[in-house]
Formats: sequence, structure tokens, C-alpha cells
Amino acid sequence: MPSHDRSILIDLLLSLLILAVATVLGALFDHLRFSESTIMMSYLLGVLLISIGTSHRGSSTLSAVVSVLLFNYFFVDPRFSLQVLEPGYPVTFAVMFLTSFITATLAIRLKSAAREAEQNAREKEEAAVQIENERLRSTLLRSISHDLRTPLTSITGNASNLLSHGEDFDEGTRRSLYRSIYEDAVWLNQMVENLLVSTRLENGETKLNFSAEVLEDIIEEAASHARAAGMTQQIVVEPTEDLLLVRADARLIAQVLINLLNNAQKYTPDNSTVRIRAQKLGEFVSVSVADDGPGIPDEDKDRIFDMFYTGTRNISDGRRSLGFGLALCRTVVRAHGGEITVSDNTPHGAVFTFTLPSEEVPLNG
Amino acid sequence: MDKTLILVVEDDIPVQKLITVTLKAEGYRYLTAETGQSAVISAASHNPDIILLDLGLPDLDGVEVIRRIRSWSNVPIIVISARSEDPDKIDALDAGADDYLTKPFSVAELLARLRVTLRRINSAGAESAPSFFQNGALTIDYAAGCVSLAGEEIRLTPIEYKLLCLLSRNVGKVLTHKYITQSIWGNSLESSTASLRVFMATLRKKLTPSPESPSLIQTHVGVGYRMIRVEEKTE
Repeated sequence: MPSHDRSILIDLLLSLLILAVATVLGALFDHLRFSESTIMMSYLLGVLLISIGTSHRGSSTLSAVVSVLLFNYFFVDPRFSLQVLEPGYPVTFAVMFLTSFITATLAIRLKSAAREAEQNAREKEEAAVQIENERLRSTLLRSISHDLRTPLTSITGNASNLLSHGEDFDEGTRRSLYRSIYEDAVWLNQMVENLLVSTRLENGETKLNFSAEVLEDIIEEAASHARAAGMTQQIVVEPTEDLLLVRADARLIAQVLINLLNNAQKYTPDNSTVRIRAQKLGEFVSVSVADDGPGIPDEDKDRIFDMFYTGTRNISDGRRSLGFGLALCRTVVRAHGGEITVSDNTPHGAVFTFTLPSEEVPLNG
Repeated sequence: MDKTLILVVEDDIPVQKLITVTLKAEGYRYLTAETGQSAVISAASHNPDIILLDLGLPDLDGVEVIRRIRSWSNVPIIVISARSEDPDKIDALDAGADDYLTKPFSVAELLARLRVTLRRINSAGAESAPSFFQNGALTIDYAAGCVSLAGEEIRLTPIEYKLLCLLSRNVGKVLTHKYITQSIWGNSLESSTASLRVFMATLRKKLTPSPESPSLIQTHVGVGYRMIRVEEKTE
């Protein structure tokens, strides 16, 4: 049976039940010698309840008619017939029908008004979420295009200078321009890698390639990538006792480590040492990247993983925000079911620690 | 051998120029091609020593180019791809490419790959006894099933030995996870790939006597593994 027919049937049964109860109640009032108007009221109440409880408009109109007939049949002399002796009754019936009909109509209107209000509220909420998403997206876009344009400006500017007056510059100046172009290009590439990762994340976790990975391999990959990208600080990977396996998307976790290393590269002196250590903690494996630089002030620690936060102090080169990188780290780690935190190193420096779910592998001998 | 001839297949002219300028500066001879079709023709008519092949060509799929060249030639092929083309890179390796470079690559990286490949070509010809393998401190006696490191015999499990043989017979070549699991277990199920990672990690530990010594087996995260050919010390 189609659901529409079924709901009509249910409405009909409910209406019958309520009218029967109203009739029994009327009989009780009659027995107690209450006035006829009290009995009428019990029918009015019945119709009102029907109009609230059923979804079809027809059922309340029908029950208004039926309630008048029932009242006439059971409680108006001569009883158990639809005949009437007193000439005033038809008017009474008409008033009774109109009253119940109007009450029912009002109740239905109220009900639909309430439903509309609810829908409006929901739509407004959805619109608010959408506006917030749009706002985030446009902030992201603005920040990204700023972050992309800055190095592009420097690359095109330096290259055009070299093209038009290259021979007027002394060797030292030329070299510094070449170096600047190179560094800006490397930086742009890191930015693009992060954007690629974030698009993959936006497409949902189904796009992530989770598998059992050897953590050491991922760390080695990230370290060699950072060295190749010109990281001058020394990177020390502390050997682990056992083989640590994690359930992870290797590329994304490598990118998390690369971002943390880039951060250390940017915020610590050239002769610093960055230590990467991994250890098993119950169901999880924790990985920490510790530097011996100036560290991160407490007021920045809570917000450092927020989008576009670049810290209360100015970055040494004054223009590059890596606010995006750490926020991305947190998104990636959370997508793995882990968490990322920052703490102080002793005697000074910052320690970034993140966790990943540990993995056991049944070996195919 | 005469000066090495390298076929550069790249449709993006600035990148092609970057590569050819680098090759020229290092004293390599080179040829260029901008399409897959002309690359196949050039490979057939000029018989280059190494092919550098960009995967994003306008006419032919890079994997198709590799298949066509592989139908008659074993010339080493190094594919060049952007990071977003990871699956293409793996397909290319499975189709018979030897190595890969990810854009943007540095000049130093490009030259290092060429040197690795050249070393492989040269040592392949010098392999006197095919039942015997020598790479740095590592010696494998295939006939006896015996592996030793700096003269000292090391004990391997059957799977580790199989893996080591597979890597040594393809020394210098990047082998994909799929290729290795197919060769060892006959399938490339997720559980096999996970096992492979564990066996590789333990095998590598056994082949690396101290944490400072460089590893013979390179891990390419998300791609596969490669045994590197250790440069012979001139005696």
C-alpha cells in the first residue's frame, strides 16, 4: 500500500477513536446529568484534537459533521434517532458544526505556521553555515593568493632586473638575486604541496590512502626532502628500538613532518639541531620534532594551529606566513585519529608532538 | 664507450631547455622530442643510451610510449612527472621504466639519477659470473644461497632472501610495491604490501651493520624500493 493511502487510513482510525471517546465521555456527562452544552464541549474538544493529530484537512471537516450527527443521535430526544422534536435544535447543530469547523481550521493553520517557522529556522541555519564556509573559503583564497603573489613578485622582479641590467650588477649582487629567485621558487613549491594536500582532505577521508606504514621510512623521506630543500639546521633522527608501524597515509604524514621541519628552518638559527623521535604509547605511536631555537611564547601556543595565525611576534623576513602549514598539520593528524600539540624544549626551543594509530601486521610468511 | 647519448622527451620548452643546458654543461650528447610519437621514432633510429621521458605528453600516454619502446629495447628510461601524477608514475615503473624524477627536480637530482643509471649500464656488462653478486660490502652467492656482508655471513629468512635476490637482480632500478608483492607472493593484496614493508625494514636492518652506514636499500614512500649500486672505490 502506498504511504499516502496508509496515512489516510491512520487518520481515519484516529478520528474514529477520538469521536468514540468523546461519545463515551458525553454518555458519562449525560449520566451525571450535566447540561447538553458540556456534552457538546466534549465533541468540540474531540474535533480540535483530531485537527491537531491528523495530517489531512478532510478528516477534521468530516469529524465536525460526524460529531454533530453523533450528538443528535445519542443525546437529543428522541434518542437513537436523527429526528428532532424541538424546532431550535437545527440552529444548535449549525452553531455546533461551525464552531468545531472554525476551531479545527484555526488549529490546522497554527500547525502549518509552526511548521513553516521551523523550516525557516532550519534554512536560516543552513544559510549561516554556508556563509561561514564561503567566508572561510574567501579568506583562504585571499591568503593563498597573497602568499603566492609575494614570492612571484620577487621572482619576476629579480628575473627582469637580471634580464635588463644583469651586466651592470657586480657578481655578488647577481648571486644574491639568483639565490633569492631560487629560494622563492622552493617556497612556492612547498605552498603548492600543501594546497594539494588540502584539496585531497577536502574531498573527504575516502580519498586518503591508509595503509600499514613503517614510520621510520616516512621520517627518513621527510628529512631527506627538507635537506634537499636547503635546510641548514642539522636533522637528527633518533633510532627506535622496535619497528614502529602506523596506520597512515604516508604522503600526508610525510607532508606533516616536512611542514614541521620547514617551521623549524624558518624560526631557528642556522646552527640549530632538530631531533625527530618516535615511540609507542599503547594504541598510539607518538612522533616529536624538537628544536633548540627560541621556542614559542605561551600566548601563541593555543592558537598556533589555527588557520592564518602567524604569531604575535613578527617573522624575521616579515612577509611569509606559514599559518597555513601548521593548520594543515592538525587537519591531517586529526583525519588519522591523532592529535598534535606543542610544548617547550629544555633549556629552550619548541617540541611539536603528534600521535598516530599504531598498527600490527600479520606477516605473510 | 663514446659520449653518452640521452634522448630528452619533454613538450614544455623551458623545462626541456633546462634539461638540455644541464646535459650540455656535463658533457652529455642529447636529442630532443616533444611528442610521444617522435620519441618512439627517435628511440628506434638513434638508439640512445638513456631516455628521459616526461609523462604528460600531448599525444601519447607516457605509459604507452614505454610499452612501445620496451617491445624492442631495454634502454634505461627515467620518467619525469609532477607530484599529482603519482599513480601514473607507478604505472610507468610497472610498464618498465627504471627510475623517476618528480617535478620540480633540482639539477643535482637529475645528474645523480643519470649517474646511477650509467653505473648500472656499465656494471651490467661487467658482470662476469651471473651466479655471483657483489655490491659494496654485500656478496650474494646465488648458487649456494649464501649472503655475506664484509666477508661475514648473515642469516636471512627465506622471504628476506627472495626479496634480496629480487632487488639485487634489478640493482639500480626502482621496483614498485605491486611488482615486488607479485613476484614474492603472487598477489598485490593490501596485507602483502603491509608484510612487504615489515620484511623490507628487517632486511635493511640486517644489511646495515651500524646506523651511520648508508643503506643499500632505498625506500620510496608510496612507490617502492631500490637497491643502489655502491660506487666502487678505485684501487
